[in-house]
Amino acid sequence: MYLPIAEVSVNWPLLILLGAAVGFVSGLFGIGGGFLMAPVLIFMGIPPSVAVASQASHVVASSTSGVIRYSSQGAVDFRMGGVMALGGVAGALLGVELFRYLRLLGQADLVVALSYLAFLGVIGALMLHESLTEILRRRRGEPARRKDRRRPMWLYGLPWKVRFPKSGLYISAIPPLGLGVFAGVLSAIMGVGGGFILVPVMLYVLRMKAGVVVGTSLFQIIITTGVTTILQAGRNQTVDVVLSTLLLLGGVVGAQWGARMSGRFRAEEMRAALGFIVLGVGLYMGLELFVRPSDLFQLAPGVGN
Amino acid sequence: MVPTLPPPPPAIAAPAPPTPAAPERSADTSGDLRVAAALTEAQVEVDSRFSGASIVLYGAVFNPGDQPADVVVVVRGPDAPVRLVKKTRNMGVWLNSRPVLFEGAPGFYMTASTRPLSDIADFGQLRRLGVGVNHLRINAPEESRTVTRYGVRDVVVSRLGEDYLDWRRAVIRLKEAAQLYATDPDGVDFVDRGLFRAEVTLPATAPTGRYYTEVWLFQNGEPVSVSNLTLTVQKVGLERDIYEFAHRRPWSYGVLCVLLAALMGYGASRLFRRG
Repeated sequence: MYLPIAEVSVNWPLLILLGAAVGFVSGLFGIGGGFLMAPVLIFMGIPPSVAVASQASHVVASSTSGVIRYSSQGAVDFRMGGVMALGGVAGALLGVELFRYLRLLGQADLVVALSYLAFLGVIGALMLHESLTEILRRRRGEPARRKDRRRPMWLYGLPWKVRFPKSGLYISAIPPLGLGVFAGVLSAIMGVGGGFILVPVMLYVLRMKAGVVVGTSLFQIIITTGVTTILQAGRNQTVDVVLSTLLLLGGVVGAQWGARMSGRFRAEEMRAALGFIVLGVGLYMGLELFVRPSDLFQLAPGVGN
Repeated sequence: MVPTLPPPPPAIAAPAPPTPAAPERSADTSGDLRVAAALTEAQVEVDSRFSGASIVLYGAVFNPGDQPADVVVVVRGPDAPVRLVKKTRNMGVWLNSRPVLFEGAPGFYMTASTRPLSDIADFGQLRRLGVGVNHLRINAPEESRTVTRYGVRDVVVSRLGEDYLDWRRAVIRLKEAAQLYATDPDGVDFVDRGLFRAEVTLPATAPTGRYYTEVWLFQNGEPVSVSNLTLTVQKVGLERDIYEFAHRRPWSYGVLCVLLAALMGYGASRLFRRG
């Protein structure tokens, strides 16, 4: 099937399958799954800028179906999510312009590779370490270490305090806002929702109630990636609706299936598996920085527009 | 078993010999070498099933003398400026250099000929006619200049130096790897005396627009006749509508994409809850 914006011909059943596989992972772990999709699309020969922009709408769809499920269980803090989304929109604006500028400089692929390596590498390694030590401890029958329930003190020193009853927080709006900006920039550059960074920060730094973390981050992701998609389409004309629809068809089904399977595994085992995947993708994407390219010269995209 | 039949005669009859009595030609030029050609398809339509196209070019050589003549088919797509970066190793990491802009590079270029181009005509002749990937007029820069483009400072529009040739060769090599540039030294087949055919293969990534085709006839290294044809590659149907919509009204297009995505997510969660 020919993609009108990407201007390449693709094998469409493969794309639906890819959407389903990524949707499954995203439903299983409660993440957007964007970080997995972009590298595979690029590997399939779709121009990176189109891949990053088009799969953002896949993230919107899978997050929407996730939020609906979580909100029916009352597990979404809309106030917290709204504050973060506000930051996310600002971050998306910033990120899309940054991405545009980097493309013109011919450095876009480099920055994408670097961000994947840095963020996914670090997060993946941390997750793997944390979950593996937990699994080992359980195997040896040692009691779980008492969790440090204190939040960092600087969270209380900031102005603009807002009450977030659902998250059980009374903190400044600045950290969630900043977190949102960060996720927005990532969403524009890497085409990811940023759940893999948001969830740990919300859990371990803000110390939100664990039950509402995933639902809230998904809610934030819908708005941020939605705005990113609109901006990418408006500024860069890189959103391919045919590509994203194909991914969506598989994605929404996969996500539901994944969500049902998620109850069957232990939390730390899931985190270990996710850590492996995240670390692997990060290293794979970062590899191009260190391997001698087969051709020293490369075409840089971004002339036409 | 039916005995095997001899191969059927070619579907297309041999071209009529040049008739000296052709009314529009004077007696003086009737004995001239001439080439005529036509494409089986003058329009390539890019739709959802498009995965490249192959167009056959047919032509006839009117050669009254007995000196052999060579045919060269050149297909040139719409211009598509190329930006190139060079990977350089800095502290163990491969980084991109500043991009260099090559203007005047066609988005598609192919030559097919009866013999290697260098045997058909000499370097100067080919360079003058711009025939062959090595003779493309990819903007030969007279001087190095950096300008501000699209709000980005210090974009090198062109650069002169020893490595200029490396850069130029890289443009052609990369385009060849993408099957957008091709050189086929025996792509012109004579199917019968005076009648030849050549195949134009467009990859799925071929740019849309107008393609100019030149069919040259060379004799003793000199161009003696040329026939010009055009070929149009255009998006049609839904592909065209989507492309136009995305470029004419990008913001509404973006909003629609997001709504579509959100709706599908909503629909899926509805569907599965019931199930």
